[in-house]
Amino acid sequence: MIPTKPSPTRRSALALLAAAGLPLPAQAAGLRIATVDWSVLETLLALDAPPVAAPELLQFREVAVEPAVPASVTDLGLRGTINFELLLLSRPELIFSSSFYVGSEPRLRRIAPVESFSVYAAGRPPYEPALAMTRGIGARLGIAARAERYIAETEAELASLREKLKPYASRPVIPINLGDARHMRVFGGDSLFGEVLKRLGLANAWVDQTSYSAMAPIGLEALARVPDAFIALIPPVPPGAMETLARSAFWNALPNLREGRLLPLASINPYGGLPAARRFARLLTEALLKAGSAHG
Amino acid sequence: MADAARPARLRPAGHPGAWLLAALMAAVLLAVVIATRPPLPASPALARTLESILLWQSLIPRAVTALICGASLGLAGMLLQRVLRNPIADASTLGIASGAQLALTVATAYAPALMVLSSEGVALVGGVAAVALVLGLSWRRGLDPMTVVLSGMVVSLVAAAASAAVILAKGEYVLSLFIWGAGSLNQQSWDAVLALGPRLVLGLAAAALLLRPLALLGLDEDVARGLGLALHATRFAVLGIAVWLAASVTAEVGVIGFVGLAAPALARELGARTPRQMLLAAPTLGALLLSITDSAVQLLGSGFNDFAPTGAATALFGGPLLLWLMRRVPPALPPQASDPALRSGRTLRSLRALGPIAVLIAALAALGLLLGRGPGGWELATGSLFSELLPFRGPRLVAAGAAGALLGAAGCLMQRLTANPLAGPEVLGVSAGGGVGLLLALTLLPAGPFAMLGGIAVGSLSVLLVMLLFAARPGIGPQRLLLAGIAMGALCMALVSTALAQGDLRAYMLLVWLSGSTNRAGEIEAWTGLIACVVLIAPVLLAVRWLDMLPLGEATSRSLGLPVQGSRIGLAGLAALMTAVASLLVGPLSLIGLIAPHMARLAGFARSRDQLIASVLIGCGVMILADWLARLVAFPYQMPVGLFAALIGGPYLIWLLNRGGSRQG
Repeated sequence: MIPTKPSPTRRSALALLAAAGLPLPAQAAGLRIATVDWSVLETLLALDAPPVAAPELLQFREVAVEPAVPASVTDLGLRGTINFELLLLSRPELIFSSSFYVGSEPRLRRIAPVESFSVYAAGRPPYEPALAMTRGIGARLGIAARAERYIAETEAELASLREKLKPYASRPVIPINLGDARHMRVFGGDSLFGEVLKRLGLANAWVDQTSYSAMAPIGLEALARVPDAFIALIPPVPPGAMETLARSAFWNALPNLREGRLLPLASINPYGGLPAARRFARLLTEALLKAGSAHG
Repeated sequence: MADAARPARLRPAGHPGAWLLAALMAAVLLAVVIATRPPLPASPALARTLESILLWQSLIPRAVTALICGASLGLAGMLLQRVLRNPIADASTLGIASGAQLALTVATAYAPALMVLSSEGVALVGGVAAVALVLGLSWRRGLDPMTVVLSGMVVSLVAAAASAAVILAKGEYVLSLFIWGAGSLNQQSWDAVLALGPRLVLGLAAAALLLRPLALLGLDEDVARGLGLALHATRFAVLGIAVWLAASVTAEVGVIGFVGLAAPALARELGARTPRQMLLAAPTLGALLLSITDSAVQLLGSGFNDFAPTGAATALFGGPLLLWLMRRVPPALPPQASDPALRSGRTLRSLRALGPIAVLIAALAALGLLLGRGPGGWELATGSLFSELLPFRGPRLVAAGAAGALLGAAGCLMQRLTANPLAGPEVLGVSAGGGVGLLLALTLLPAGPFAMLGGIAVGSLSVLLVMLLFAARPGIGPQRLLLAGIAMGALCMALVSTALAQGDLRAYMLLVWLSGSTNRAGEIEAWTGLIACVVLIAPVLLAVRWLDMLPLGEATSRSLGLPVQGSRIGLAGLAALMTAVASLLVGPLSLIGLIAPHMARLAGFARSRDQLIASVLIGCGVMILADWLARLVAFPYQMPVGLFAALIGGPYLIWLLNRGGSRQG
């Protein structure tokens, strides 16, 4: 990977970090990676190649939850306004970016070479691009075998979950976010969740159009069109919304609710990579099996 | 009053044909909505059950909610217009909606327990605070209609900037807040009807009790007082009812703009004159108007998707309506001549006094370049670290400073041109137009910095062109041009809100632009700002003579040999271009254009040339300071600089206006 004799800048950078009392990054011997994108961050962590810096770690720990972010990763601030100075001082040798951040790329290039991935694009399902990104990262970091292994694990997990879900294949699932007590965001076939459903052998109940993989805001009354579906409720749930819904005659009259087909899931990053896909598959399967055993 | 001024248009209050037509249209559209609702894919028995739930728990409550909200907003608008003697007052122009939205945003992000307890209480607090602020801002100017609406605009802008910053900082609760911001009437229960219905009845009853005072409020203040009316008590009572109704509606269904503006106006067109007639006509028309709009967005949408949130749709027709209503606005007194706020500098300072300001700016710039925070805490960048950080700190400092200078010049120009101390670049709607351009660019073109830049520029310039065409029409006074700007801004922001409510990638990019951050500024942005400063500000310096004369009024200017129309259009064009470039660099909401000229005047730079140069320098300095603070306050998280500048400027402006007024007495 990086040549045997590190450049002077890099050495001085490491000295600076050490002087600043920061722990030296785990892969100081390898390539120092930074990323400005969450789906890349997930993938790097899953491949056991944590970056030296990544954005909005407070939210990431809440929204994406896994994989866990080591304390050695520097928080670069909001995804919308990356702190370039701090990124510079983190001395990355390579920055992974994504199509969300094209506007920042000229600035990023001043700090280190940039490689960009495009997992999310209008009207294009994200699963294949997420696979490609995982392979791309593996190849770039010289851990191609690890990347292939992770992909194989992912496919194997999806296949085994699909096997478990055979009894549920007859019912569609509608993955939603609640916007408030009256509206939702629906994730369509071209979303990460839609892609996972397909690979789990389940149908997505939302067949209408989407824009950038989701459609919002949709009135909750649209749920009356999918009375058979399991509702996969993905956080965040706005404060007070569930209390209001619990009193709603409409909500309680929905067959989905009456027959226990509301599946409140734990938080998942809807614009994630393969780790988010696996997390959704696992959480959804657990919830479906639980609902199935409760209602025989 | 506009009513009294148009006796020729007096018609009997009935006008049954028009009323019948409106009611019939609302009923027919509603029937079509109910008849054409999409079929449900379920077994016949289940489908029947669901159909009836959908009809009775969703469609019918939604229709009734539309009627009640429309009536409440119509009543609130009518009361506000009466009590403020202002034909363009309503919940949106007075900032009630934005104030309530900010309160809800902050509560959702930082005190969700409050939202569970009473979201309406939260919204009401925000709405009342906004109105109090707006009226406080315009109190000293006798609640002059233009000043009230412009103050409403200022308060709305600050609230919007703060909301955007909170949403950006919290990230994930976006969706609920945007839905709320764009006002949607979807219902799945009778809750909204049960909450709002009794309030409407109470509001109507209270307004009916106040009929006689309401009639007197339409008269001259002295006459009303002579007739024994407790003027302030009555005003506050009526104001209270109106704000309460409007805030309740906004808390329940979100921001629904312009119905409160349109309903009373249409009622007057249909012949209602006395308060008694208006009390019946305005709520009725409001109800019909909102019902028709709501049915239309349902019919134009596909399946269960509405075409657009109803609140945004009302703004789409409300913007043009505001333009049409402008002919009724009484012209304000030219403030430049009489307002002590504008003449507060006791000593007239000459250009030499600009020296210390320039030195201060240089010091601020040095501070911005040298002092920062790093992984190890505060640090002074020297040597190689300095040269490494310079490519990041330099462009953003230059961009911020250039944007501040451009905004200072633009604001100074606009205030001179319109002889209105509350004019500012944000108010012309040019910045909001840039938002629509950005939206189009993000929708139609592959994402990229140049596409975004081009989109904003084209959007700003298109709005500017419309404004100039509008300004070229005969009889358009300076205030009307500003009102046209507000209307255009509302129209554009309605489009932007609709896009924001979708919560997708475009919404994210728009939000970043809206909050105004110099973080993405690089060499291109820095050079753009610098070149714009030279190219746009220099010509104005050559035309300072016009600036001295234009505020004297059209007749005086013409007699002094000034090509009034031409010079006005030329200067307005320059000002709008400055605004466009600045909004590229620091977002649309900074308020620097409003504040810098005031600070310049306060410092004693009263002549046009001096004030212009001082405004440019002060704008530049304030923006550099704001940028430095925005970079460091929440390190490594960065505050948007536009918001930061607005937070510095808003309170300052309030202080300034009150200070100027207190000298009057």
